[in-house]
Amino acid sequence: MINQILLGLSNGAMYSLVAIGLVMMYKVSGVMNFAYGNMGMFVTYLVWWLTSVIGINLYISIVLGIIFAALMGISVERFGLRPIRHLSHGSMLIVTFGVLMILEGLAVQIWGTEYKAFPELITGTPLVFKGDFGIIVLRRQDLLVFVTLTTISILLLLFTKYTKFGIAVRAVSENEEVAGYMGINVGTVLSFSWAFGVSMAALVGFISAPKVFVSPLMLLFYQIQGFTAAVLGGFETFTGAVFGGLILGVLEKLVESYISEGFKASFSLAIIIVVLILFPKGLFGKTLRRRV
Amino acid sequence: MLSGDIYLKSLNVFYGPVHAVKGIDLSIEEGKVTTILGANGAGKSSTLKAIVGGVNYTGSIVVGTVPIDGMPVHKRVENGIVLCPEGRGIFYTMTVKENLLAGAYTRKHAKLELAFEIFPVLKERINQIAGTLSGGEQQMLAIARAIMAEPKYLLLDEPSLGLAPVVIEKIAEVIREINKRGITIILVEQNTTLALSLAHKAYILENGRVAAEGKPDELMKSDVIRQKYLGGVRA
Repeated sequence: MINQILLGLSNGAMYSLVAIGLVMMYKVSGVMNFAYGNMGMFVTYLVWWLTSVIGINLYISIVLGIIFAALMGISVERFGLRPIRHLSHGSMLIVTFGVLMILEGLAVQIWGTEYKAFPELITGTPLVFKGDFGIIVLRRQDLLVFVTLTTISILLLLFTKYTKFGIAVRAVSENEEVAGYMGINVGTVLSFSWAFGVSMAALVGFISAPKVFVSPLMLLFYQIQGFTAAVLGGFETFTGAVFGGLILGVLEKLVESYISEGFKASFSLAIIIVVLILFPKGLFGKTLRRRV
Repeated sequence: MLSGDIYLKSLNVFYGPVHAVKGIDLSIEEGKVTTILGANGAGKSSTLKAIVGGVNYTGSIVVGTVPIDGMPVHKRVENGIVLCPEGRGIFYTMTVKENLLAGAYTRKHAKLELAFEIFPVLKERINQIAGTLSGGEQQMLAIARAIMAEPKYLLLDEPSLGLAPVVIEKIAEVIREINKRGITIILVEQNTTLALSLAHKAYILENGRVAAEGKPDELMKSDVIRQKYLGGVRA
């Protein structure tokens, strides 16, 4: 049981990472980015190419990949979305669909559909703990995911709570027009949110790639689960995204182990429907009463 | 930092096919309170938004001798032109302190003491979530937040909206106090009594055009203006 929960938490932490990026872009720019997974996929391909074909050190390639991801996020927002911001969210949504298809097509054209093996980011024997509770096996890979999620969550919390730019990000996400009147450069905040969001997608790509291999559809599943995690958490707060992902991961794993693997996807989606009916703002959404 | 009087020269504001402000000329004297009055849809808020750069306009806005037309909003704020928008627009999910810090975004150091000096009540509520403040407190927070940007020109859009008479009195005191500190004030109001009691000069807009202008007491001497635009306010 404990092992199952740990495995679930490990999967869930990945969903959380996906959800954090989605929530950041959604909160600030108001757009649900459908190209999210494919943007991460494309960057993962690029890093695979840099390291396996060109022969650059894996970690340097990853840093280059993150920089490329940030630039890609900034460009899509700046040139694809900002010119039509005044139209509607629907039209921006369509643009993200377009980006999704373009990137998928490009990846197939450039790298083909064959699965590529991505080097492990961390290697070593699993950690094994024995005690009254039985045996717990912790893979290094899981440890990497936990550490990444914890680090990013803490940094994000400190950033949005205690830095000037972090407060500006929250201000823009709450009221873009008024934030502009405060002298906040809304464009810079939009660029930041997309740079951050796509970097998260890339990060998820790098971490998952050794397991799922690099392919044009590699992040589709994570995108869906991350979206579900974000909905579960209320789509408004990073805390919600983090815990939404973890809860989803554990539930999914328990269903898989104790009921049936076939039920995994449908059961967790069913739970989400129930949660949304009972808590329309997600488990962590704040219902704030505003005085007039 | 800009300084001097503000001149609006044949200012036009369009929202799609709607011509909200139709070529008005205004001059706003430095260090004084200028009020812009008029009915709903007369173009008052659009004029303020144009001054701060929040809407597209044609015509020209000159501060002192410097035309600021190409300047984006955040640059205007840096240069001391700050709008406190209608409906307060405070950040509801953020604390009082975070709202004030957001207001001070363009400044190196946030002078929180300045806000607390003018609004002592906010100091007691510094860590409270802004959405849980009362209406009057929210309006004070909105003005305090604008003050945090250290304006030279403060543009207030309907600060008395939806507030009880006692609170409006308090807001009026605050506006006088801010003006005494040398900040030029442009006040848009539907509450003509309040606005005329504060202003050195008033403009009355009607359908996007200037219908009348002058010192408040001069405007009130005219029966026609009083009846037609000022809701029968007595001098």
